Amino acid sequence: MPVNLGFATASNDFLIAALLIYSLAVLAFAGNYAFGRPRRKEEAKAAAPAAQLATVGGGSALAGGEPSATAAAPVPPAFPAPRPGAFRAIREAGPWVTAAVSFSALGALVHLAAVVCRGLAVHRAPWGNMYEFITALTCVAAIFFCYVLVRFRAWALGVFVMGAVVIALGLAETLIYTPAGPLVPALQSYWLSIHVTAMTLATGIFFVAAVLGIMYLVAERYRKRVEAGKAKPGNGLIARIPSAAQLDKLTYRTVVFGFPVWTFGVIAGAIWADQAWGRYWGWDPVETWAFITWVIYAAYLHARATAGWRGARAHYIQLLGFASLVTNMLVVQVFITGMHSYAGVSG
Amino acid sequence: MTDVHAPQSESQPGSVAAEGAAGRLPGGAGRPAPSAGWLRWGWRQLTSMRTALVLLFLLALGSIPGSILPQEGTDAGAVQQYYVSHPGLAPWLNRLDLFNVFASPWFAAIYLLLFASLVGCVVPRCFKLVGTARTPPPRAPRNLARLPHSSSYASALPPEAAVARAAEILGGQRFRLRRPDAGGTDYWVSAEKGYLREVGNLLFHLALLGVLLSIAAGGLFGYKADKLLVEGQSFADTTSALDEFHPGRLVSGSDLPPFTMTLNKFTATYIQSGQSLGQPENFNANVSYASSPGAKPGTYNIRINDPLSVDSLKVYLIGHGYAPEFKVTSADGSVTYNAATPFIPASTSTFLSDGVVKAPGAATGTDLGFMGVFVPTAISNNGTLESIFPAADDPAVSLIAYYGNLGLNDGVPQSVYQLDTTRMTKLSAAPHLLTPGQTWTLPNGKGSVTFVGVKQWVSLAITYDPGQVPALVCGMLALAGLLLSFFVRRRRVFVRAVPAASGTGSVVTVGGLTRSDASGGFEEEFTELAAEIAAAEPNAGPNAGPTAEPSNKSEPGA
Repeated sequence: MPVNLGFATASNDFLIAALLIYSLAVLAFAGNYAFGRPRRKEEAKAAAPAAQLATVGGGSALAGGEPSATAAAPVPPAFPAPRPGAFRAIREAGPWVTAAVSFSALGALVHLAAVVCRGLAVHRAPWGNMYEFITALTCVAAIFFCYVLVRFRAWALGVFVMGAVVIALGLAETLIYTPAGPLVPALQSYWLSIHVTAMTLATGIFFVAAVLGIMYLVAERYRKRVEAGKAKPGNGLIARIPSAAQLDKLTYRTVVFGFPVWTFGVIAGAIWADQAWGRYWGWDPVETWAFITWVIYAAYLHARATAGWRGARAHYIQLLGFASLVTNMLVVQVFITGMHSYAGVSG
Repeated sequence: MTDVHAPQSESQPGSVAAEGAAGRLPGGAGRPAPSAGWLRWGWRQLTSMRTALVLLFLLALGSIPGSILPQEGTDAGAVQQYYVSHPGLAPWLNRLDLFNVFASPWFAAIYLLLFASLVGCVVPRCFKLVGTARTPPPRAPRNLARLPHSSSYASALPPEAAVARAAEILGGQRFRLRRPDAGGTDYWVSAEKGYLREVGNLLFHLALLGVLLSIAAGGLFGYKADKLLVEGQSFADTTSALDEFHPGRLVSGSDLPPFTMTLNKFTATYIQSGQSLGQPENFNANVSYASSPGAKPGTYNIRINDPLSVDSLKVYLIGHGYAPEFKVTSADGSVTYNAATPFIPASTSTFLSDGVVKAPGAATGTDLGFMGVFVPTAISNNGTLESIFPAADDPAVSLIAYYGNLGLNDGVPQSVYQLDTTRMTKLSAAPHLLTPGQTWTLPNGKGSVTFVGVKQWVSLAITYDPGQVPALVCGMLALAGLLLSFFVRRRRVFVRAVPAASGTGSVVTVGGLTRSDASGGFEEEFTELAAEIAAAEPNAGPNAGPTAEPSNKSEPGA
């Protein structure tokens, strides 16, 4: 079937628009850092009486990540805690946050429209080459992050996550833009939708986890310095991001969400490989690196349960896992010849 | 890594899930290793979480050379090429098995140690899980307010009835219950749920073992063969007919199922215009086959992503190319060669292909040999023959003819794609161009060659892998286990009631505990559950309803 040029053009336009809107979101998130309300001050009021509870309530989820919940700490919500609506919480966080979250959500919608239009233009799942793959995975990352924004009030992470999305999308748009077109026969399979969708989702989720991991390392280093008396508490930028403990938990949950998706993607890939190439596993370079990535994330999950490996060390492992994922995507698929050489960016 | 005395529960790969168990064994902390206990010490080291972590890293690290260096298993030709371009380095790499990483002893050592470590950790945990399943939950702690989650409410019921009602609700939600022995003055109920978490964790690890065993089974009992087939040709599935045969360790040629196959027609279509000009659109190999001689024949269109299943094995389309047909006539007028000759594509985008024709003469030293270049859509670029499109729209061959001794009778096996010209002389300085139907009369009356036409060939992979289905089942089980162990939480809920200070009714405290709330959400579950228990009171008035009390202030004896 020929490419539908109308949809193809619409997709390109939507993508440029999404890139611009995301940039505005990053600006607004940055503006919140510069001119917004510092979050530690809100929390500080609640911190004193809550301190005693916190030692007991180690398992109390991410309550600390929500200023409003922590503020109510002197009388802990024992029964259905009336969670303030997400929208009210956003409004209360000030105009910068309101703008940033709105831009992020709007950008994600426009981005989604771009991906859908691309799919309509080429009559297939729109992740058949590297350009489409990065476009789709950043869309997943943006949507997943919008959820994290609302669920965990994680405005402080916005400038980092959305910044990374803007950079990845911008590079895809400028360096490896590939016009809409049909697929080579090897990719003409419904497994493309299953395998690559799972890989895209998992990559998007791990992307968010990696950003959280880096922030954890920054926050943890700062916490250690404060403990050692080398830095003042409540200082500048760092005071505005969530605490190391919260970031640690959020990172773990994100990985726990992404790991089964990645596992499923690898299994689906094996089924497809069996159908297309006559073996379900053949240590093709891309398969090998998917395996390496899987093993490293498994090591992270185990490290979190090993004495002496928790904390920063575990996070380094997690970041190593993401590094191997990126290596697979940008180096192995593009520069090493194998059965997965579909990137379509050889120039 | 050498911390022998680390508490066992901390050094086991299962700790992620083992955290769920509230009571932990202190392990052999501080106990001196018995002098004959080296084995046990070694085993404990191997099954420790640190060792598992190190082995996981080694596994990842060891895989890297397998993706960077060419591998025997996937591309033996590239390995040969590597030997040519790196003559000094290649033998050393070979000594370290780096051209065959995934079948090397050192790689096997890593994963076998890892799986030994896994077994050593998982098997005891299986027994422990059985033990847990047979033990009721622990008694309710005295002061529930000290638990991470707690709340209390005033009940109109006497303590015994209030606890009974709570137990009913918890039991209705499939919690496992424990009540105090009858006759006491202590009124409580312990409830526990989420054993599936540990089940999932164990299932995941055991299923991984299953994947490994399935792969091993495939390696022992399966096989893989390659066959190049030109349109119109047939073959029977015997070792002599196959181009390459890679049997598993316990497979011999006689195990091959006796099917036969003919390639009727191969069709390839390419994009005709636009930026993706020449990109393949569709491949289709139409074959006739019979599962055994005399069986009812069938036809099938083998495509990429659509293999043919016959006799428990599968036939895949993995490559294709052109086979120009040549007719060679010797000096005395007899036809010495008349066949379609597979040429190997040098470029997969234009299908410019190379090949040779070997036409042995009647007497030694009268052989004719040709080196050829085939182009499916010919164009002359400043005198150089090039192809501009992969389909055979305007085919041509360019031949260089040799006369002399091909060396076919030397007893040394030769490649059909290479011409040994050491004992031959070139018949013409420049290559000769032929289009279908044209004949080139060779100089000096050495005979002639006719480019009759073009056929296509396909390369087929024939595989049998009995480990495939078990591997898939184990993979799915591993995934199921993973989901259970991540998203089920092991949790305990306790309810305790004491008579109210006023004399009638009681004060009921509900406490909750989880150590494995990886995906979060226990807080919400607990609040809902506590509310449900409180709401089940028959005369729950506005004052008797749920009241939020700080957990560190409530006094159970009040």
